[in-house]
Amino acid sequence: MKQRQVLQGNTIVAKAAIAAGCDFFAGYPITPSSEIAQFMSMEMPRLGYDFIQMEDEISSLGACIGASLAGKKAMTATSGPGFSLMQEHLGLAVMAEIPIVIVNVMRGGPSTGMPTKPSQSDIMQTRWGTHGDHPIIVVYPAFASQLFSETIRAFNLSEKFWNPVIILLDEVIAKAREDIALPRKKDLNIYWEKTKQIEDLNIYDREIGQNPPRVDFFKKYPIHIDSLEHDKHGWPTTDPKIVDKMQTLRMQKIYNYLDEIITHEEYYLDDAEIMVFSFGISARSSLAAVEMAREQGIKVGLFQALTIWPFPKLLLREKFKKIKKILVVEMNMGQTIYEIERTATDDVERQALLRANGVPFTPTEVLEAIKRFKK
Amino acid sequence: MSRYEIRYGAVGGQGLLTAGALLVNIAVTKENKYAVESPTYTASVRGGATKVDIIISDKRILFPQANAIDFFVCTEQKPFDLYKERLKDDAIVIIDTHLVKEVGNPRNWKLMRIPLVYETKKQLGNIVLTSVVTLALTQKITGIIGYRNMVDYVREWAPQDYIDLNLKAIEVGRELIK
Repeated sequence: MKQRQVLQGNTIVAKAAIAAGCDFFAGYPITPSSEIAQFMSMEMPRLGYDFIQMEDEISSLGACIGASLAGKKAMTATSGPGFSLMQEHLGLAVMAEIPIVIVNVMRGGPSTGMPTKPSQSDIMQTRWGTHGDHPIIVVYPAFASQLFSETIRAFNLSEKFWNPVIILLDEVIAKAREDIALPRKKDLNIYWEKTKQIEDLNIYDREIGQNPPRVDFFKKYPIHIDSLEHDKHGWPTTDPKIVDKMQTLRMQKIYNYLDEIITHEEYYLDDAEIMVFSFGISARSSLAAVEMAREQGIKVGLFQALTIWPFPKLLLREKFKKIKKILVVEMNMGQTIYEIERTATDDVERQALLRANGVPFTPTEVLEAIKRFKK
Repeated sequence: MSRYEIRYGAVGGQGLLTAGALLVNIAVTKENKYAVESPTYTASVRGGATKVDIIISDKRILFPQANAIDFFVCTEQKPFDLYKERLKDDAIVIIDTHLVKEVGNPRNWKLMRIPLVYETKKQLGNIVLTSVVTLALTQKITGIIGYRNMVDYVREWAPQDYIDLNLKAIEVGRELIK
């Protein structure tokens, strides 16, 4: 570990992206994510990499898709309104299996909402924002060190599974300046599959459950990329058998690797009677609340989801064998609570602490909810 | 010291975000403590009410905003009204003599009125230096960071031509709370 320093959350993400090998950034600055674009605009040219400020968020993701196809590790950063604009291209990236990292620093919504206030309201949008059945990976760091490690992981997952990966961030954490000891470069585990020399142009030809290979599309191969459903050559098709296979391929490349993709942190759960389920800033309040509750003899623990999609269903089901009370803490009007409803067995009592007024829950407020639930 | 919570309330442009950033940097880089600065601001930054919470601790900081505030400095009425919530009953509260008139119920606060902005302007010629003046008085009252470390850091941080002015601002801040 290097010496500790003070960095803003957004800057930590930008630094981690560069450490992960990001060599292309296109974006349109928007509060509360602007410092990511700002940092990239200074750092990328200095390193000989590309930074482009685009005319909007639609073109930003478009530029990233093009760069990724040409063999770059591409990232963009935005907030809710910009992320809404990106949904169409997000679908293209999923359909054509293009690695991309998108940072969404959430703010109060809907629409332009509250630009300077935090919210955790885009969780379902990251899952279902773009149309059609599709797999998606969403990571959700909370502590400064996690901002760094999850950004690295987002790039690795994106490269490995040929899929867009979204980093969700909370305004409070993105804007805060915190102490962090950045890891040394040699200690980082960076995934970067070298371009394959392909024998023919069947780039989407593989068995179900296999990872796709990485091909530098525009370097030498006349490859067809299509947002339409396509066959192994990338050519449009509506042949039900081929469509079946392609849809399954895209799903299974993620769902066959859940152990590798889904990460979480757990605190004080061993003997817990109540489990708090949370993420981002709410997980930080919750952990402080859990520690306060423990001092008062209340057996409560925290499940902090670091990967929010795919949802950590199996891990939670394992916990529900022993823990029969779950309290969901989230800064929205109720989103992951529905996923918990689908996950929890009938004998598990569920409660949610919800709020979307731009004010994060304080540890005291979460503690009070824990106490109410205990009664 | 497990967790010490400081809040600065101001209007955008007064420089209190800078004061917070300085405090956190000194605590982390000079004193090896854990520290977080968490700003809140409104859409109209310049002239709008702002606050910054600074948490300093010997332990890893979980919640990065204030939960129970020990020390509050406020230089305008609007942020005072908005951000006096979450003060401890026995918090130290410093308000600008001229710019914060209505205090409401002062509970058991140790309340001090200081002509912070006026004296900064008068003695240093620029209210931007409210940041360093505030840092200095925070240091003197709370002792949360060491005097020497503060001076060293400000010396490293300030642009070459403004080092003396910033060091003078430290002395102004210390004088104000005699």
